[in-house]
Amino acid sequence: MMDLGFALNSKRVLVVARRVVRQLKRDRRTIGLITFAPIFLMILFGYALSGEMSGINLGIVDFGGQDDLTDHLASVDDFDLLRLGSESDAEKLIVEGRLHGAVVIRDNEVRILLDGSSPQITSSIMTEVKTGLLPKNGLRNGEMIGGEGESGGAVNVASLGHDGGIGGVGGHGILGSDVGIGRNDALGEYSAVEAQSPEIVQRYVYGYDLEMMDSVGPAVLGLVVFFFTFITAAISFLRERTQGSLEKFMVSPLSRPEMVAGYLLGFSLFALLQSATTFLVVVFVFGVPMNGNPITAFAVILLLGAGALVLGAFFSNFAKTEFQVVQFIPMVILPQVVLSGVWWPLESIPAFIRPISYILPLTYSSDALRAVMLKGAGISDILVPDLLFLAGFFVIVFGAATLMLKREVG
Amino acid sequence: MNDGENSDPVSFEEYSIVAQGLQKSFGKLKVLSDLSVKIPRGTTYCLLGPNGSGKTTFIRAVAGLLRLDGGDLSVLGEPVSNVCRVYPRIGYMTQHKALYPDLTLQENMEFYAGLYGIEGARMSERISELLEMVDLADHSQRITGALSGGMYQRLSLACTLIHEPDLLLLDEPTVGVDPILREAFWRFFDDLAEKGSTILITTHLMDEAERCKIVGYMRAGRMLAEGSPEELKRLAGLQPILKLSVKEPEASATRLAAGGFDASVVEGELHVAIEEHRKLKEVLDLVEPLDLRLVEPTLGDAFLRLAEEVQR
Repeated sequence: MMDLGFALNSKRVLVVARRVVRQLKRDRRTIGLITFAPIFLMILFGYALSGEMSGINLGIVDFGGQDDLTDHLASVDDFDLLRLGSESDAEKLIVEGRLHGAVVIRDNEVRILLDGSSPQITSSIMTEVKTGLLPKNGLRNGEMIGGEGESGGAVNVASLGHDGGIGGVGGHGILGSDVGIGRNDALGEYSAVEAQSPEIVQRYVYGYDLEMMDSVGPAVLGLVVFFFTFITAAISFLRERTQGSLEKFMVSPLSRPEMVAGYLLGFSLFALLQSATTFLVVVFVFGVPMNGNPITAFAVILLLGAGALVLGAFFSNFAKTEFQVVQFIPMVILPQVVLSGVWWPLESIPAFIRPISYILPLTYSSDALRAVMLKGAGISDILVPDLLFLAGFFVIVFGAATLMLKREVG
Repeated sequence: MNDGENSDPVSFEEYSIVAQGLQKSFGKLKVLSDLSVKIPRGTTYCLLGPNGSGKTTFIRAVAGLLRLDGGDLSVLGEPVSNVCRVYPRIGYMTQHKALYPDLTLQENMEFYAGLYGIEGARMSERISELLEMVDLADHSQRITGALSGGMYQRLSLACTLIHEPDLLLLDEPTVGVDPILREAFWRFFDDLAEKGSTILITTHLMDEAERCKIVGYMRAGRMLAEGSPEELKRLAGLQPILKLSVKEPEASATRLAAGGFDASVVEGELHVAIEEHRKLKEVLDLVEPLDLRLVEPTLGDAFLRLAEEVQR
C-alpha cells in the first residue's frame, strides 16, 4: 500500500507538468498573483527601503562659530528646521514630541539632542551633522581600503572605527572621523566635540554607495518568491485533495513522487516568470546592483522556489480549507521574515534563537543572493553552505511531502 | 487469504474481489464488521445500503486507500497490500468529480489518458469514443468548470473508463444523470461486463440495483443479504399483489380467505397475494372485478422487509 515508487516515469511526470501549466495558464488570478503581486510588493519594499527620509523636525540653537554646519543643515531638504533660543527650549519641544531632535551649536562644541525613537532619524541627523562638520572638500572618494561592513556593508572609514552603532542604519555611511560622540543621558544626548581635521578617506568596497534597498533587495527577492510559491503550491495540492483527484491518482499508475515532480516541473516555468519579473524590478527600477551572473541568481531562486513548492505540498496535508492554508503564513513565512537575516544581520539575532535561523532556507538564499548580486560571487563561492543547504532542504522536504500525500486521503 | 476450516477454496481466476472477515473502525465507530464478499469476474455487482452502512469504505478498501484492521482482501488476484500492481487495470470513480474545472473536456481526458500511457492516435480514438458514449462529443473544447452537474458526472465517468479497466469501482456514478442517459450508462456497463470487466457499483437507486446481476445489501458494516434481485425478493418473502376493485370487498375477501388465499381490504381495495401467476385464474373465478392490476414487489420492498426483520 505504501509503495513509494521512487523510480520516476518521466512521461507521467510530463503529463502532470503539462496539466499544471494548462491549468495555470487559464487561471488569470493566480497568474496575476504569481507575476504582478511580487512586482507590486517589490515596488512597495523598494520605496519603503530607499533610505530617503523627509519631514524630520530639527531644532537649531545657534550660538555661532560653526557656520558651515548651520548652512549645511539648512540646505538639507529632509529637515524642517526650527530655530530656537536655548537648549532647554529644544529639550522641551523634543519631550513634547514636536521635534525629532535638536542641534546646539557653539564655537567649541556641538550638542545633539535626540528623541531616539527612530534609529533611521537618529542616523540621518547624526550623518548630516557630521557632514556639516567636515572641512569643505575634505570628503572624497579615495582608494579602496578596509573591509566589509555589516549590512552588506560597504562603508569603512579610515582611522576611526564604529561610533557606537549610529550611522549604520541609513547606510549612507559617512562617519566623521573627526567627531567623538558619547551618549550622556536617557533622552539620548550626544555631544560632538570637534577635533583635528584629518583627511577623511571613504570607500565602498564593492564600488557603490549601498542604500538599504541594495542590501535588503536580494534577500527580499527570495522572500517574495518563497512566499508566493509556498501559498500557491499549498492551495493547489489542497485542491487536489478536496476535488478528489488526489484520491483518483492514488488508484492509478501515477506514483506520489511523480505527482510532486510533475508539479515541480509545471510550476518551475511560472517560478521562472515570477523570478524574472521581480528580478527586473529589483535591478532596473531600484538599481540594486547585479554584479554576478544573473543565471546564478536565477538558479538560487529556482532552488529556493522548489523548496517552497514541496514545503507547500507538505503543509497542504494539514489544511482542510484554503482559509486554513492562509493560517500557515504566521507559522511558516513570518519566522523566515524575522529570523533569516533578510532585514537585519543574523548577528543581531539573539544567540539562543539563532539556531532556528540556520535551519531556514531563506537564511541561505539571502546569503547566496547577496553574494551573487552585490559581490559578484559565482556558483563555487555559494556552493557551501548556501546551495548545499537549499538542495538538502528540497530533497528532505520532497521526501516528506511525498510520504505525507497519504494513500489514506479521506 | 485465510484457509480457515469453513473457507471454500477460492479461484482468483473466477473472482475479481475476494474479501473475508474485513474489519475497519474509525475511532470507536465500527464501519466494516466481519464483512465477507466474493465478486465474480465479468459481472455487475451492486452494493446497496443506507448511508453509513460501509459501502464507500468497502470500495476504498478495495482501492487500497484504507488500512484494514483485520480480514483478508484480494483484488484481481493480488493481496490488497500489493494492489498498486493492478492499478493500471482498475478504474475508480469517486463521489467527487476529480476533474480540473479550468481545463477543457478534451484536456481533462488527455490528462487521464496520459497517466495510463495512452497516447497518439489511440488516445484520440478513445477520447472521441468515450465522449460520444457520454453524449459530450459536441462539448469537447468547452471549459469543464462551465458544465452542469450531470455533464460533470458524465465526463468523470468517461475519464474513469479511458484505459479500459478490468475492474471498475464506481461510487454512485449516476448521481445527477438524467434517466435517458442513465439507461445508456447501464447498457454500456452491461456491455463491459459481457466483455469480461467486473463492475462494482454503489447506488441508492433501487431501479439501478435491479439492473445488476448481483446485489449485496449492507447494513452496519455487514453483508445482510446477497443474490440476484429476484433471489433477494424471494428471500424477503415478497409476492406479487393483485389489487382488485370489487363491489363488495369485505365479502370477496372472506370468500378468498376461505379458498386459501391471503386477502385483505386496503382503503376499499381488495389485495390478494399471488404465490404463482397460475393462481390468478383461481382468484378471478371467486370474484368479479370491476378493475384489476398486478403489482410486482420491488427490490425496495425487499430491502424494507429485510431491514424490518433485522430491526426485530
